[in-house]
Amino acid sequence: MPSIHLLLVDDEERFLTTTRKLIEKRGVTTFIASNGVDALKVMGEHPIDVVVLDVKMPGMDGVEVLRHIKLKHPLIEVIMLTGHASAESAVEGLKLGAFDYVTKPYEVSRLMEKVEKAYAKKHAMEEKIRKAKIERIIGHPMAVFESDAEDE
Amino acid sequence: MENHRFRTTRRMILSRGLLAPFVALMLVSAILVYYFASYSRDQVETALVRIASDHRHLVDQFLDERASDLRFAAASCRMEDISNEAGLTELFRNLQAGSEAFFDLGVFDETGNHLEYVGPYDLAGKNYADTEWFKAVQQEGLYISDVFLGYRKIPHFIIAVRRHEGDRTWYLRATIDTLSFNGLVEGIRMGQTGEAYLVNRKGILQTTRRSGGQLMEPDPDFRTYVMDDEDVTSFSAGQRSEQRYLYATAPLGHVDWVLVVRQEVGDAYGSVTHAVVIAVAVILIGGAVAGFMAYLLASSVANTLALADMEKQQIKSQLIVAGKLAEVGEMSAGLAHEINNPLQVMQSELTMIGDMVADIESDGESADKEKLGLIKDSLDQFRIQIARCSRITKGLLDSVRKTEPSMKPLKMQDVLPEIISMVANRATVADVRIIEQLDRDLPPIMTDSSQLQQVFLNLLNNALYALKDRDSAEIHVKAFQENRSIVVSVEDNGCGIPRENMEKIFVPLFTTKPPGQGTGLGLSTTYGIVKAFGGNISVTSEPDVGTVFTVSLPLESPRVRTSTN
Repeated sequence: MPSIHLLLVDDEERFLTTTRKLIEKRGVTTFIASNGVDALKVMGEHPIDVVVLDVKMPGMDGVEVLRHIKLKHPLIEVIMLTGHASAESAVEGLKLGAFDYVTKPYEVSRLMEKVEKAYAKKHAMEEKIRKAKIERIIGHPMAVFESDAEDE
Repeated sequence: MENHRFRTTRRMILSRGLLAPFVALMLVSAILVYYFASYSRDQVETALVRIASDHRHLVDQFLDERASDLRFAAASCRMEDISNEAGLTELFRNLQAGSEAFFDLGVFDETGNHLEYVGPYDLAGKNYADTEWFKAVQQEGLYISDVFLGYRKIPHFIIAVRRHEGDRTWYLRATIDTLSFNGLVEGIRMGQTGEAYLVNRKGILQTTRRSGGQLMEPDPDFRTYVMDDEDVTSFSAGQRSEQRYLYATAPLGHVDWVLVVRQEVGDAYGSVTHAVVIAVAVILIGGAVAGFMAYLLASSVANTLALADMEKQQIKSQLIVAGKLAEVGEMSAGLAHEINNPLQVMQSELTMIGDMVADIESDGESADKEKLGLIKDSLDQFRIQIARCSRITKGLLDSVRKTEPSMKPLKMQDVLPEIISMVANRATVADVRIIEQLDRDLPPIMTDSSQLQQVFLNLLNNALYALKDRDSAEIHVKAFQENRSIVVSVEDNGCGIPRENMEKIFVPLFTTKPPGQGTGLGLSTTYGIVKAFGGNISVTSEPDVGTVFTVSLPLESPRVRTSTN
């Protein structure tokens, strides 16, 4: 399995750096962002697979960031970090297409399980899309140009 | 305080309710009494005047008749005829035949010599030229004297007439026994005190007065009389300060006498007094009855008001408590959330330290095994305490904001036994009897079974805790329908809740259990859930008697308050 590219979004700096170290140790390439705007920027610059997104942040809150992510990068899976299952709009996040939520405080290992599942889902989805494309190209070779256009 | 307000209200109703009719009644009574009194006075005065007038006529007539008798007698004979005993006696007999009032008779010549006398006294031969009556009759031709008592102590007065016979003048004088006409005057009676008497212009009584005052005595009231020269006059005057009389005075025609008719005011107003007494009695009795009824009415109204007021206060305090709870809930939710973030950081750091310790351990020889062990032990403790904090914050958040409930139609009579069975073992061990009294045919309500379970588990757990080490411990669980709600009550006969704690029991984190045994979130969670279902929870408790928690849930499918930011 190729290395997972994870983006960690939280307004707590120390949490970001420590968690990043812990996660990198587990062989996951980790990016961090301390607010929604930065997070979207990072996603534009790096190929991100999974985003771990704190719901409650100053400025753009988690749910709003999630909306943007799903709009620009529909394939990226998002895991919501919340203080409380229902209170922190985890449910709303799920409705908007988040993969899952984790309630604080949590053990890194528990988070990693979910991250891996999310990645697996994304991977499977990409795989499916690729297969579909290939089938399409086989069926209609001209489609290569279409799909290229689509990718951009 | 309550009692004081009750009394004030009652007094207000009473005074306002009774004052107006009472004042009106008194006014009406006073007016009636006034008019009745003046009417009675008029009546009495009229009666007095009539009697005075009538009897004046009688007395005048009597005097007239006697004077006429005498004049006629004088005119009917010559002086020679009666200057002897036989002649005068005959004349006297004739007069007496006309009226027995004639007592004696005498003849006088123009110089006042008493020529002849018929009567009980020996008066003949005396000269009366200088006497008052003789002078008067010389001038007037007729003289009627005041009353006097003769030698026999019989009231008399004299009538003297002048007779011109040719160039001679002589006089005839008769003494009149007043007994006969006294009867005319003294016999008058009105009521208890009504009386009549004659008094001359000098204030000397001419008849006996029944209420005191002998003949010939001066009338002590004379100065107060109002008299006209001719007409009958009525007036009221005081004799002594407390006794007032109504009077009518009538001057007589031929003599300077006045007929006085009088009646005591109290007597004259007897019927008025009677009426006033009856009226006052009626007012007093009626007033007492009305006052009593008003008192009862005012009491019941004031009672109702006081009750309503108390209910209002209760509702107000309930609202305040509810508001406080909501506020405290919001606050603790925010607090819990804020604490979760640092907890998360700690958790991460802890994990990292754990990893590092593991690294050092795996490095091998250089590590001090013993110290590493201590560090790991310490880290475990950190983990445990973080988990504990996390439980608390979770509980706090749970008590305020609910996870999305999955609403299903559930029947209390089905759900409750399941929940009760969950604590049945513990109850048996603690020797607590749980008695179910569930209506068998309650309609289902839309609710979430796990949250409902949480509500009643909390209540049952609390009841079990309150029943710890108590004899004949019992928990009654009742479910019934009341109006449009299903009501479930959990009643224990345990230690009860102290009054000072009653307001705090639903507040998050409030607990009376020793540290570490209770989070103080049970009842606040219960409260939050019941409120979210649109229901209500209330508690009554008496220390050492027991506690009843009553949960009512609406039959109508409630709009569940789902979580918000």
